[in-house]
Amino acid sequence: MFMQQLINGLALGAVYALIALGYTMVYGILQLINFAHGEVYMLGAYLGIIVLGILTALGLPAYSLPLTIFITLGLSMLFCAAYGATIERIAYRPLRGASRLAPLISAVGMSIILQNIVMLLQGKEYKYLPPVISFEGYALFGARISPVEIFILGASILLMLGLQLFISRTKMGKAMRATAQDRIMAGLTGVNINRVIGVTFMIGSALAAVAGVMVTLSYGVVHFFMGYTAGLKAFTAAVLGGIGSIPGAMLGGFMLGIIENFGASYISSVYKDAFAFVVLILTLIIRPSGLIGPRELDKV
Amino acid sequence: MRKIVRSMMILSLLAALAGCAKDDSEVIKIGAVGPMTGDQSKMGTDLKNSVELAVAEWNERGGVLGKKIVMIAGDDQADPKQAVSMANKFINQKVVGVVGHWNSSCSIPASKYYNDENVVMITPATTNPKLTLQGFSRVFRVCGTDDQQGRIAAEFVVNKLKPARIAVIHDKTAYGQGLAEYFKKALGEKVKIVFYNGIVLRDADYKAVLTAIKETKPDAYFFGGVYPEAGRLVRQANEIGLAAPMITGDGVFDPTFIDIAGKAAEGAFVTFGRDPSGLPTAQSFISKYTARYGSPGPYSLNAYDAANIILSAIEKTGTTDGAKLAAYISKTTFKGGFGDIAFDKNGDVKKAPYVVWAVRDGKFQQVP
Repeated sequence: MFMQQLINGLALGAVYALIALGYTMVYGILQLINFAHGEVYMLGAYLGIIVLGILTALGLPAYSLPLTIFITLGLSMLFCAAYGATIERIAYRPLRGASRLAPLISAVGMSIILQNIVMLLQGKEYKYLPPVISFEGYALFGARISPVEIFILGASILLMLGLQLFISRTKMGKAMRATAQDRIMAGLTGVNINRVIGVTFMIGSALAAVAGVMVTLSYGVVHFFMGYTAGLKAFTAAVLGGIGSIPGAMLGGFMLGIIENFGASYISSVYKDAFAFVVLILTLIIRPSGLIGPRELDKV
Repeated sequence: MRKIVRSMMILSLLAALAGCAKDDSEVIKIGAVGPMTGDQSKMGTDLKNSVELAVAEWNERGGVLGKKIVMIAGDDQADPKQAVSMANKFINQKVVGVVGHWNSSCSIPASKYYNDENVVMITPATTNPKLTLQGFSRVFRVCGTDDQQGRIAAEFVVNKLKPARIAVIHDKTAYGQGLAEYFKKALGEKVKIVFYNGIVLRDADYKAVLTAIKETKPDAYFFGGVYPEAGRLVRQANEIGLAAPMITGDGVFDPTFIDIAGKAAEGAFVTFGRDPSGLPTAQSFISKYTARYGSPGPYSLNAYDAANIILSAIEKTGTTDGAKLAAYISKTTFKGGFGDIAFDKNGDVKKAPYVVWAVRDGKFQQVP
């Protein structure tokens, strides 16, 4: 059971980690909690189900399953990146000089708008997808791991490594780090701040889209309200790891997934959701900068 | 001139009023109420269609007590407040009997008003046991109750599946938890319950609780809840290698359950009403309903039976007095679409109308 819960926790944690990256990257650059981020994940899941539905109708999965998943991921990431950039452009950029509370309120508003758009366009009911990848598990150290879980773990670890390389090796990554350190100074040295912020939102949203598609593939059910809880949990993961820190978000995501699974199985499944928020409260009280977060939180 | 016009107006008004009054005594009114708009509008419309069909048939035969029967449809929007206001509207319109409501949350508050105002109420679909435990003599139901359903599931488990160990989970809703409790109670000491807990509604990932269940090595597990959760549960159970079959209630009887779970749904057991399509007593209803409205819904036949029970009680007793009708209904056996209908002292059907269905080859099939 321990091994099985560890695998379950890692697969769930990978999803949290991918969403948490978007929170932490935006926070690192703008000191803004993008509460609409959970909805981007939800949009990614809906796009995943729509694209997979169309591709299935065209008969592609029978021809090549990897190609199907690749196209689904690609389209969903592309759309969500566009959504992310648009959200930044219309909800946050006009408020950039305002007090820190204004964009936060705008973020909550954006989240409500996106939820309601999806509810009106797609309906209040659950949307479902018949299993695409076989989910019959393989035996592994006395536990079972399914192809979907292998895919989730593999893809998310690859994406996280890619992101780390992007931030540390490319010119845009350098510009992002510079903007996170000091936005005004970076602007003075010729960094196009608006572009950097736009790209940050696009990357964060594309990662959330991957998380959304993974959830669709794995659980087969989407709902317009799904972004709310997932967003809050990913936010918790980001805080646990240390908000603003990219390795922190990854660590926080995996840890939260494992904590939830162990809590639900060893303590009580009724309180599964509560564990995440107990973790959030404890982190904020005991170690507000998170496990591996930046030392000084408030830059003045 | 003006005086003449005015007196004519008053006269015509009086005539209209008189007409109304006359109308009231010459027709017999039956209410049909349920959610006609919103999420569950299909359920309400099914109910209304069935009552309409029954009323049309009686009118073809010359009505009842020599009077024409009129159906009045009401929409409670699945909202308890709206249900009470519809009940008052029916009472003001001097309705003799009501077929409805659909939801437990509507039937229970509305039933008090019908009972107090001497109107017979028969619900075709409310399964919450509380409805008929209020001591209202004019309130009946032609469907089963959740405790009967839990009992049928438990009997099936004990006599057919014969597991040594069983796990029980529920979605913490009034329906799901209620069903799980009734199941547990009916099971008693006959099977060892190795796990009992709630799950988080709408959660995506149930692997944690399923892994904990797997650890207790059950031969089967019962779930009190609805199809979106049930679909994910069996799918993820398959993923982690929990092979025990799921037994669950009527909330899961929906093709979407099989769509979500795919092959993992195979072998799941669901308690639900009998399949009327093979019953000789239901054939005339099915063909007439299909000709008028398309294929009947899961509770259409119940609504049709409910309307017929009220109308034949009026005919047999020769009165529209609610108390006398209720007394007659409670001690008479009626011929319904599913067979004979007789009520116990609470107003529930004596014979639990549930059977066990299983998912086989991607379809729900009645277990013989």
